[in-house]
Amino acid sequence: MKKRVLAGFFLSLSLVLSACSGGGTAPAEQGKSAEGQAKTELIVAAEQEPVGYDPHKVPAASSVRVYALIYDSLTKLDENMNIVPNLAEKWEIAPDGKTVTMFLQKGVKFHNGKDMTADDVKFSFERIMNPDTGSIAKSYFSSVEAIEVKDPTTVVFKLKNADASFVANTASAYASIVPAGSTDLTKEAIGTGPFKMEKSESGQYVLLKKNADYFNKELPKVESIKFQIMKDEAERLAAIRSGKVDISMVSADSAKLLDGKPGVQIKNYQSLEYSYLGINVNKKPFDNPKVREAISYAVDRNQIIQTVWKGEATLTGPIAPALTNSALDPATYPTYKTDVEKAKQLLAEAGYPNGFETQIETAATYPDMVETAQVIQQQLKAIGINAKINQLEWGNYIDTWKSKDMNLMVGRNTSGVDADRSMRFFFSTTGSANVWNYSNPAYDELVQKALTTVDQSERKKLYDEAQTMLVADAPNLFLASPKNYYAVRDNIDFTPSAAGEVYSLIKTSIK
Amino acid sequence: MGSYLIKRVASLIPILFGISVLIFTILHLVPGDPASIMLGTNATPEAIAALNKSMGLDQPLINQYLHWVTGILQGNFGVSVHTGEEILPQILKRFAITMQLTVFGVLIGWVLAIPFGILSAIRAHSKTDIVVRVFTLLGISVPNFAIGTLLLLGFSLYFNWFPPIDVVNFWDDPIEAFKVFILPATTMGIVVAAGVMRMTRSAFLETMDKDFIRTARAKGNSKWTIVMGHAFRNSSIPIVTIAGMQIGYLLGGSVIVEQLFSIPGLGQYILEGIYQRDYPVVQGGVLFVALVFVLVNLLIDLIYTWIDPRIKY
Repeated sequence: MKKRVLAGFFLSLSLVLSACSGGGTAPAEQGKSAEGQAKTELIVAAEQEPVGYDPHKVPAASSVRVYALIYDSLTKLDENMNIVPNLAEKWEIAPDGKTVTMFLQKGVKFHNGKDMTADDVKFSFERIMNPDTGSIAKSYFSSVEAIEVKDPTTVVFKLKNADASFVANTASAYASIVPAGSTDLTKEAIGTGPFKMEKSESGQYVLLKKNADYFNKELPKVESIKFQIMKDEAERLAAIRSGKVDISMVSADSAKLLDGKPGVQIKNYQSLEYSYLGINVNKKPFDNPKVREAISYAVDRNQIIQTVWKGEATLTGPIAPALTNSALDPATYPTYKTDVEKAKQLLAEAGYPNGFETQIETAATYPDMVETAQVIQQQLKAIGINAKINQLEWGNYIDTWKSKDMNLMVGRNTSGVDADRSMRFFFSTTGSANVWNYSNPAYDELVQKALTTVDQSERKKLYDEAQTMLVADAPNLFLASPKNYYAVRDNIDFTPSAAGEVYSLIKTSIK
Repeated sequence: MGSYLIKRVASLIPILFGISVLIFTILHLVPGDPASIMLGTNATPEAIAALNKSMGLDQPLINQYLHWVTGILQGNFGVSVHTGEEILPQILKRFAITMQLTVFGVLIGWVLAIPFGILSAIRAHSKTDIVVRVFTLLGISVPNFAIGTLLLLGFSLYFNWFPPIDVVNFWDDPIEAFKVFILPATTMGIVVAAGVMRMTRSAFLETMDKDFIRTARAKGNSKWTIVMGHAFRNSSIPIVTIAGMQIGYLLGGSVIVEQLFSIPGLGQYILEGIYQRDYPVVQGGVLFVALVFVLVNLLIDLIYTWIDPRIKY
């Protein structure tokens, strides 16, 4: 009865609505526009509004997904995470690893019609490296000593020391090539990329139009992309089901809900992210390696994968498993085997036979972080560690993270595209993101040596050793690397991969 | 009346000054700064410092406040530290959208509330009354995000209908605007209706007990004349009061409904500003909402004198 009343209410309202819309669009016709022409515009639901389009200054994911379609970088990643040519058609690394010569594509034009030359590349990198810019990518290129323009299509990077991660870092969207002389890139966005900025309506949408002069003549495959800002997950679900949007990122839970529903496909990929439990190694009792080892034995990572990620995540070490070339198999880490008895024994040896009280900081903004903290809280209880969970608002969370004064902290990192970032940036003594006060000279030496080693197999060995050392020292417990999910309409040919949404969007076509 | 108006408008100055100091202080006391929120946990300290400097946030607080207030006095609300957009045009544009949503929501609310509220009062304890009272109880106790989500999912799941996602102004395209606003406005309307209905019912019950109604009955007036001619006007003061307060709240605080239906209104703008610690946006937005709130209240007070000539200022 109740159902009938509810259905009656919806029915009458929708009749009124369809009466004034003149029939509405049947789901089967949604591949075509109202005039009956083939659909050429791709509509992507965006959870957040972009906050400016300066690729050197703005790291927000909501902005990157847009400006990475407008700008190009020297290199890029393919779906197997290999570095492949982009604006640079090839490159040469001198035998000593200290000189990298980039040969640029000829005939590439910016959206304003100006030719892209070596001067623009030099300008872009100098802008990134200028401390006043406040660029997030500055630390990626700290090894660069000088940039020389040899001719309009040849740029030479002189490095202070051999830097095996240099070429990989040029694939970052933060290292986009902008026109020489650019000053304020906050609003205007002129790049060489496959799409041009057409219109941006604050709070509503960003519309990009195909760049007809794109240097890769076969791409992109759609005429335009519209990023429709929809902050609420329920709204995105309703929109994708009724065909109002073509592509939407969804949570694992919503993916399950949508799976098998007509008109929608669920696609996923293994992300480059991983969740962790950070441990402040300066704080008592965590300065004692035995306590950290005990925590590592006490935490059951598989239970976290099952509870928090519903089984849709992979066990991870310090490098996310999606970086298949660098990540070590977690089965090789002894402390990954849960052993409560051993953990208790280690705690007793460290002088805490009855455990202790502590606090876990986490971000209320991300439900997965809160759930992870709750599972860990339960698991630590088994060895006598009573942890209080402190859920922080995002701004407060970042402040706590920066303070280097927390006890335990649950968080998520992105591995980056090169092992150097996962290892040196987060855990070397001087690493900018090393807020755990972790300092191990042997580790520092390993990762520094790996950075300057050009031979890839030698480099891999060094990173394997460094990963094992890091897991044993446990300034972080590396937990799970989740999958990311997209809901995609049936008529859209979109294949997401860890290489990024941009990579997939450029190749997307409408059937 | 004239002097009253002048006094009320003049009192705006200290109110708005107090609010400006309060919002500025509170906002800057909250932990977190825009640069570190923008850069997240992948930031280097130099990058954070450089970004804060480029946004002018390395200055002493008092300088920042004075800079902001002098700007406001010249009609310049400043620019968003995130997007670099001028704030005042954004506020006005988004306020226009929120206003349409509110007007639409309040209309739906009143159309439902006033007749049913009256009906339930004059037929107290009948079946109609029970239905109305159950509705008001539900409307007040079920949160609007639940109502909104149900409407959204219900329509898309069962009828494959989804409101248009690009907001249009009512004066540009009334039909399209109707389609955009119908679900969010209904969500707000249900909540508005519940409150107003309750108030209408109790105000009418009270009035219907008064001596002048008994006199009117004794004179043999029809029921319609008694209710509309005698009781309605005399019951309107509390109804107008609650309706006015609701308009004020909705204009400033339709945040959840705007978030749920991606309506780029003022509430959403301020909320986003708070998350991002976009100080100029939040300060400017809150100040604007405060101004509107005070003006709506003033308007309500003026309406009193029109409804009930015994009220004089």
